[in-house]
Amino acid sequence: RPRSEPPLCPPGPGGVAVPRAGLKKYVLPPDYSGITLPEKTKLKFMDKVPAVPKVRREPRRLRDIRGPARVATDFTQGQYGILALGGGYLHWGHFEMIRLTIGRAMDPKTMFAIWRVPAPYKPVTRKSLGHRMGGGKGPIDHYVTAVKSGRLVVEVGGRCEFGEVKPFLTQVAKKLPFPAVPVSRDGLQQMRREEEEKRLNNQNPWTFERVVTSNMLGMRKYLSPYDLQLKGRYWGKFFLKHRV
Amino acid sequence: APASKMAALSGGGAPWRRGWLPALQLVRCGSKAVTRHWKAMHFQRQKLMAVTEYLAPRPAVPPRCLAPRKETLEEDNGYVRLLRRQVEEVFRDNRMIAVCQYNSMPGEDVVLMRHYLRKHNIEVKFVLNEIVRPVLSQSKYKNLLPLFVARNILLVSREAKAKEMLRVLKGVPQINLLGACIDDTILSRQGVENFAKLPLLEAAQGQTVGALALLPSQTSSLLQRGSAHLTALLDQHIHRLQAGETGSPAEPAPAQSSGAH
Repeated sequence: RPRSEPPLCPPGPGGVAVPRAGLKKYVLPPDYSGITLPEKTKLKFMDKVPAVPKVRREPRRLRDIRGPARVATDFTQGQYGILALGGGYLHWGHFEMIRLTIGRAMDPKTMFAIWRVPAPYKPVTRKSLGHRMGGGKGPIDHYVTAVKSGRLVVEVGGRCEFGEVKPFLTQVAKKLPFPAVPVSRDGLQQMRREEEEKRLNNQNPWTFERVVTSNMLGMRKYLSPYDLQLKGRYWGKFFLKHRV
Repeated sequence: APASKMAALSGGGAPWRRGWLPALQLVRCGSKAVTRHWKAMHFQRQKLMAVTEYLAPRPAVPPRCLAPRKETLEEDNGYVRLLRRQVEEVFRDNRMIAVCQYNSMPGEDVVLMRHYLRKHNIEVKFVLNEIVRPVLSQSKYKNLLPLFVARNILLVSREAKAKEMLRVLKGVPQINLLGACIDDTILSRQGVENFAKLPLLEAAQGQTVGALALLPSQTSSLLQRGSAHLTALLDQHIHRLQAGETGSPAEPAPAQSSGAH
């Protein structure tokens, strides 16, 4: 709120009349000229089990959760999306929740949504309840998709503003098994810029990266070899946003 | 005793053994690298994380003590430019511009007032101060700036009909005349009232012309005064003679009077 200017002339016995309204500033409506909607605007139905189900049971391979995402980190068609801020697995229940919530909240004529994660492909085994250890690996129970931090889950676009899309995207983001936030293109750029600025104007001369790469005080004895790439921002599946 | 010692020692890790590799030992006891819960960090790692935390820059003068940057208003707003142009036209075209304070009036009263003023060819203009003030400050009407403070209206007209305007405004208590600019002359409220009491310009001009033409118009009668006086005296004389001589024929006095002309 701008501070009031000094009184234009000294107030009389009745006081100064403060103007209640100024000139109305007409804002032009947003320009959606460059946006084309795809044919199927709603989210595709994702299968519980892939078309060719896996016969061979796979090891757990939790490294597909660890660390930063390398694929699907930027926007392609849409303008707004859900960004994952932690690693986790999405199973069919999550996919259905996302599909139905977004399908219910969006207008298929003016908006569209696309998946940025594949259908569940990784088999997860489970032994039957109440049995002791041993007896081999359990059978495949369900399939999941691995999501790393920094990956986009869904993208939404069309003739809409971030304010319209944010409520239902936050609703979805809260229900995901990892922390997630709705972002727009500008918001993501802003986040990355802020991160970079933070990294540059850090007053602390000692950074995790520096300590690890030069193995100061023999710290690598207590750290993992992966910490050379993770640089203290990731711990397990968690993403530490406040670091560096 | 050695068996129990071995058993006791082999039970829990083997930190006493030389060349202890964390890769071998921690795999045996403890969770994997990626867990669903927040895995407890080694104390050395905790210390490292604490040491390498982010430190925000602290300038010598905090930014909130410095003067805030005034965001410059964009003047490219076409609507603002249009309104300014209109105000400039108003000041250029009209002879009389009166500034009045405008208090809230019922809508029908506003319409009635506008109607009465329109009959005398006076227009009512609502202008925003934030547009008028920059326009005035750059033109020659700088002294009108103190009037444009609170809610006000402009009564503009091509002819300076102050009397009718004052009469209409007297009937409207919510509008108070603050000042006027008539023929590039700034007048206060008193000045406008005095101006209204003056006769019309045409009447004043006529009066002046009449006063000036009075003397030349008298010139011919002044010049003729002598001969007219003589003619009148002779006529009187004739009448007296005619009245005295009742039957005598008319003298050739008219020939004398016609010769005097």
